[in-house]
Amino acid sequence: MTPASHHDPHPIHVAIVEDDPDFSNALSLVVENAADMRLAAKAGTQAQGLSMLAGPPADVLLVDLGLPDGSGIEVIRAAARHWPSCSIMVSTNFGDETHVMRSIEAGAAGYLLKDSSPSRMADEIRSLANGGSPISPIIARQILARFRHQPAAPAHGQAAAHGEEAPAPLSQREKQVLDYITKGFTVHEIAGLMTLSHFTVRTFVRRIYSKLKVSSKAEAIFEARTQGLLS
Amino acid sequence: MRARAQRLLAHLLLWFSVAVLVAAGSLYLDHDEPHGGAAGQHLTRADWQETLAPGYTTPPPRLDSAALPPAWQAVALPFNPAIALLRQAESGAGGARNGVAPAVRVSWFKLAPEQPPAGAGTLALYGIRVKTDGTVAVYINGRLAHRAQQRGPLWNSTRTPLWFTLDNGPGAAPVREILLRLEHSDASQTALSSLRLGPVEALRAPYHVRLWLQQELPAMLSAAFMAVGVFALFVWLRRRHETAYLLFFNLAATAFLRGLHFYVDLPIENDWFAWLTVNALFWLVLSVHFFLCQLHRQPLRWLTRALVAVTALIGALTLPGLAVLPTLPTVTPMIYPVAALMSLVACVVGGTCAWRHSGEGRLVVYGLFACTALGVTDWMLQNNVIGAEGWYLGAYAPAVCFITFGTLMYRRYVDAIAEVERVNAGLAERLAAREAELEASHHRLRQIELRQTISDERQRLMQDMHDGLGSSLISAIRSVERGNIGDARVSQILKDCLDDLKLTIDSMEPVEADLLLLLATLRFRLEPRLEGTGVSLLWEVRELPTLDWLNPSSALHILRIVQESIANILRHTRATEIRVGTTAVADGVQVHIGDNGGGFDVAAALGHGGGRGLQNQQRRAAAVDGKVGWNSSAAGTTFTLWLPLKPRGQV
Repeated sequence: MTPASHHDPHPIHVAIVEDDPDFSNALSLVVENAADMRLAAKAGTQAQGLSMLAGPPADVLLVDLGLPDGSGIEVIRAAARHWPSCSIMVSTNFGDETHVMRSIEAGAAGYLLKDSSPSRMADEIRSLANGGSPISPIIARQILARFRHQPAAPAHGQAAAHGEEAPAPLSQREKQVLDYITKGFTVHEIAGLMTLSHFTVRTFVRRIYSKLKVSSKAEAIFEARTQGLLS
Repeated sequence: MRARAQRLLAHLLLWFSVAVLVAAGSLYLDHDEPHGGAAGQHLTRADWQETLAPGYTTPPPRLDSAALPPAWQAVALPFNPAIALLRQAESGAGGARNGVAPAVRVSWFKLAPEQPPAGAGTLALYGIRVKTDGTVAVYINGRLAHRAQQRGPLWNSTRTPLWFTLDNGPGAAPVREILLRLEHSDASQTALSSLRLGPVEALRAPYHVRLWLQQELPAMLSAAFMAVGVFALFVWLRRRHETAYLLFFNLAATAFLRGLHFYVDLPIENDWFAWLTVNALFWLVLSVHFFLCQLHRQPLRWLTRALVAVTALIGALTLPGLAVLPTLPTVTPMIYPVAALMSLVACVVGGTCAWRHSGEGRLVVYGLFACTALGVTDWMLQNNVIGAEGWYLGAYAPAVCFITFGTLMYRRYVDAIAEVERVNAGLAERLAAREAELEASHHRLRQIELRQTISDERQRLMQDMHDGLGSSLISAIRSVERGNIGDARVSQILKDCLDDLKLTIDSMEPVEADLLLLLATLRFRLEPRLEGTGVSLLWEVRELPTLDWLNPSSALHILRIVQESIANILRHTRATEIRVGTTAVADGVQVHIGDNGGGFDVAAALGHGGGRGLQNQQRRAAAVDGKVGWNSSAAGTTFTLWLPLKPRGQV
């Protein structure tokens, strides 16, 4: 919960999995130009990205989904397992619902729009490293819909019985944050409306994402059970 | 397998039933079948004479045949002298009218068995028929052995065989002489069948068969017909429009009435029962005629009138009170031919009408003809035209009726079941065909709908790319090629193109009829572009009702209208503040975009060729049934987009 500072003695270690050399370089530049960040590792393919996970964990991992030898989703999933402390970010052209939701379900904590300005990119990385997450109105609406439709799925009880993380329902405040987002209010405006710091609002979003991840995992297990894939 | 087993079971049941009936019949008849074979002595010759008497008398207990006048004539049995019908009827009618006791004649028959019957045990005397309208007495060896019809004839007398037993104990004298004393009215005639004398065991079977066939079986058939008639009545009560069922009931009822006299043992008198018996025959004929009319569907008015008139006339003339034509056995032989004639006429005319087009009509005509023929033989038997040992077949007329009309009903019943089955099968078939048709048409519709959706979507995107992205890129390329454009400008144009593309993609996201979500998305996309421009965006939206008509196409129009509006502010004014607000109004919703720029002359901008952006907004608003407006002053401009709650087609 300590805010970022240029004189942070513990810089943010950023790892990149990106096949487009232009964007990869632009990103590297952003990281190198930021005093509080270090470029920890770089990979251009899924295979390199996966082998990179054997090394020391980074603080922020930027992953592109369209890798030449496979989907970045696999990298996100593996990273969530091997680097549990790392904040994963998917880089996307449009931030469209399909890509972002799949990434969040796999374990991503945020997304980065590829056409963002360098300073904005740096801000996003910093915010993510500090436990915040970005969100768009359409994704907020999707998450609301998702939780509305599965408040008491049978998988919940089973997951709890197996000692796994039980997907908790959204809290009232979390719902309120999502609701404001869908109406077009920015994080700063919401912070004002709810008398919170904008940073807290972003951590709310992070928590919502982790609930979505757990819930989607439970859902997948439930689906697999009902379809007889798991015994 | 199952069907075969069922068929086998049905056959077994049928044959078992038939076998039971046959067994019952043979047991009944063979019960006392003699082993000797000889069915007693057959007496076919007799001495006959008639004497006159002043009135009916009780037969004396003993009577010596030698005391009778020696005027014996040898006759052969069966004996059935001709009857002068007219004279008989006249005397009968006259006697009834005058109330004077008519003269009585006594017919005597003397028979002598050739040899005493063999074997000991009880003997029986059996004769098929003894016909007279007075008393019957039988003397064996001069001693009265049997009496019948003490009070005159009963209705079933002529169908009741003569039967009595004689004690033939060890001390009894052998039968030497059998004397029959038959009293009858002056003008009428008697008839006598041949007689049989023999052991009871030997004669019982033929006696019982006679009795059963002439009295019991007709009674059973008559009752069965009546039961079916009652069934038909109940059918008619539920289906009043089908008169045939009522006629059937009428037929059954009249046939039952007519049949009663074959087996009831009431004395024959000129009373209501006699009246009913005689008239029932006419009603029966009339009823069959109506039935035929139903079948061949021709009114035959004159015939119907004539038949009704005759029936009514006979009914009136034979009324017991009036006694113009008393219904006595002496008179009825003159009435019945009228019925036979009526029946024949109805038969011929009805048959002619029904012959071509009604198989059922033909069947009824056959039946009626058969009944008439049976009736005529009865009449002939009754009036000594044919031998006294003949059968009364008229008793089977109700049975013929029953078979005829039962066949009709059976056919209709079976046809109706087959029809219902056929209709059901047809219905199921039609239903299946209709379902398949519906499914096919539904599938076709879905295909068309899908093709239409794809085509609409393609057209929409094409149009959008053509107007926006395409033309922006082309002008950027031209500018770059001409070399008169800076990198910053190129970058700006490309960023605008990317924004356009993002909005196109956003328009395809599900917004669930939520205009605020759509505006939120727009803000989310445009916010980064406002960074560093020094323009602040004030978000003043309010809750809005859902717009159910929002689809990707209308969403894109709205996004473009608002996008254009903000772009205009950024491009053409020095505004430092943009306010975006929403309000719900009576019949729709409004989106307001206000700025604090210098304002502009709306009319001039719209009229001027340069106002292509504004015209685009108007065009797009019209495409979603909305309206746009500008309110401009020196303080700034407020742009308003009005959108309906429901599309125009549903207002």
